[in-house]
Amino acid sequence: MQTFIEVDHYQCAKGNHRTEGDVFLSKKILPENRVISVLSDGLGSGVKAGVLSTLTATMAITCVAGNIPIERTAQIIHQSLPVCSERRIRYATFTLVDMGRNQEVRILEYDNPPYLLVRNGEMVEVPKTVTRLPSRHGRKTLISVSSFTAQPGDRIVVFSDGVVQSGIGTPAMPLGWGIEGVKRFLQELIQREPALSARELAHAVVRKSLWNDALEAKDDITCGVIYFRTPRRTLVLTGPPFAPERDKELASIFSVYKGKKIVCGGTTATIIARELGKQVQVCLQNLDPEVPPPSEMEGSDLVTEGILTLGKAAELLAGNLQGGTRAPSVKNAAHLLVEHLLDSDIVDFVVGTRINEAHQDPSMPVELEIRRNIVKRIAHLLEERYLKEVHIQFI
Amino acid sequence: METSKDAKKIRVVICSGTTCYLMGASELFGLEKALGEPLASRITIEGSPCMNLCKGGEYGKAPFVKVNDALISTATVHKVIEEIRRQASL
Repeated sequence: MQTFIEVDHYQCAKGNHRTEGDVFLSKKILPENRVISVLSDGLGSGVKAGVLSTLTATMAITCVAGNIPIERTAQIIHQSLPVCSERRIRYATFTLVDMGRNQEVRILEYDNPPYLLVRNGEMVEVPKTVTRLPSRHGRKTLISVSSFTAQPGDRIVVFSDGVVQSGIGTPAMPLGWGIEGVKRFLQELIQREPALSARELAHAVVRKSLWNDALEAKDDITCGVIYFRTPRRTLVLTGPPFAPERDKELASIFSVYKGKKIVCGGTTATIIARELGKQVQVCLQNLDPEVPPPSEMEGSDLVTEGILTLGKAAELLAGNLQGGTRAPSVKNAAHLLVEHLLDSDIVDFVVGTRINEAHQDPSMPVELEIRRNIVKRIAHLLEERYLKEVHIQFI
Repeated sequence: METSKDAKKIRVVICSGTTCYLMGASELFGLEKALGEPLASRITIEGSPCMNLCKGGEYGKAPFVKVNDALISTATVHKVIEEIRRQASL
């Protein structure tokens, strides 16, 4: 089975800042099946740092995606970035990970803490070529480039200095957590939970750093994780088939699927329940005025209403979920759906195209969109923003 | 599982499909509170993923509620309480 590249990150802003000065951006280039991720740390914190790190990360991704050699990319950024007049250092540092065909990985590091490669629960040291960039302001800048072939199960962990320096000055770790501390943490955690997702690992590293800082970050804390994993698959059935004769086919897609199974749609759930002889039970706890309640059906991981829940899920996915906006403690069906989608690598949508004429009544609110359009929007977000692989089949 | 005590209760099923929820079913789930005692303890409330009644309009308009076998269209808390009272007094 082919390895899937799961990429995710988590971050929190320094102290009481609302905006992070670090940024983590990724881009998937589909025809080449290539993924490029960049973590950039802007000098200082807050909005100014955020603008500079975003600028740096965007330049880095655009250059590398345009096949400009990686060393040349570093030079271009080095020459374009302003220099702090007091400290004489460039305004943003970065780590770029370029994952191409056949799991070939190249990593460019520009002043950030070194990335870590975890293979079979152990740290792997990758040889690096260090190059000195031409100096304009009397301060030398070194970049390092390394490359290797990723193996199934490999994890690449990148982070900003807010992670390694967390806890600095505290009695427990006067010199901060340090790279060795991070390595021990990752090894112990992965040994305990070998199947930990990129999403969960990034969260764990940031939470531990924040804990080291006594829950008030002394710097922006960001961790990005790239995990070469066996893909987690999820099936989402939504909408009744155009021809009712195909109801049986829909039920059989559901029953033979290997992976998580989600049904979005009251009629769809009724069809599956009828064809497979199951019961659907609506959960009446924690009702949400906007999103109809989820239901339970044996053999399904989640059953929800269709259009409204999908519409809300699209809104949630379009918001800044990764940046730290966490779902509320009381989750509605759309939150649950989004969690399942983000915890998947490959999402297979099967969309029934029969139209419910009651939804076409002009007195109905405009939120009642055509199912196909919402699914397309969700698919686009999952692919572009969350780097998932999405397949849509109409029935 | 339905107990013999539940069997005597009045069964209220509220459709929570798309059309019904948009047209006010979400408010109907607050029925128990609006009903108050002693009637509240004489009913059970369930949701239905979709009753498939909104298509075509032959059953009236959403939201739909069933109080035992009586179907209420364009259901409001008031209309449902009326029907529960009627059945409770039988």
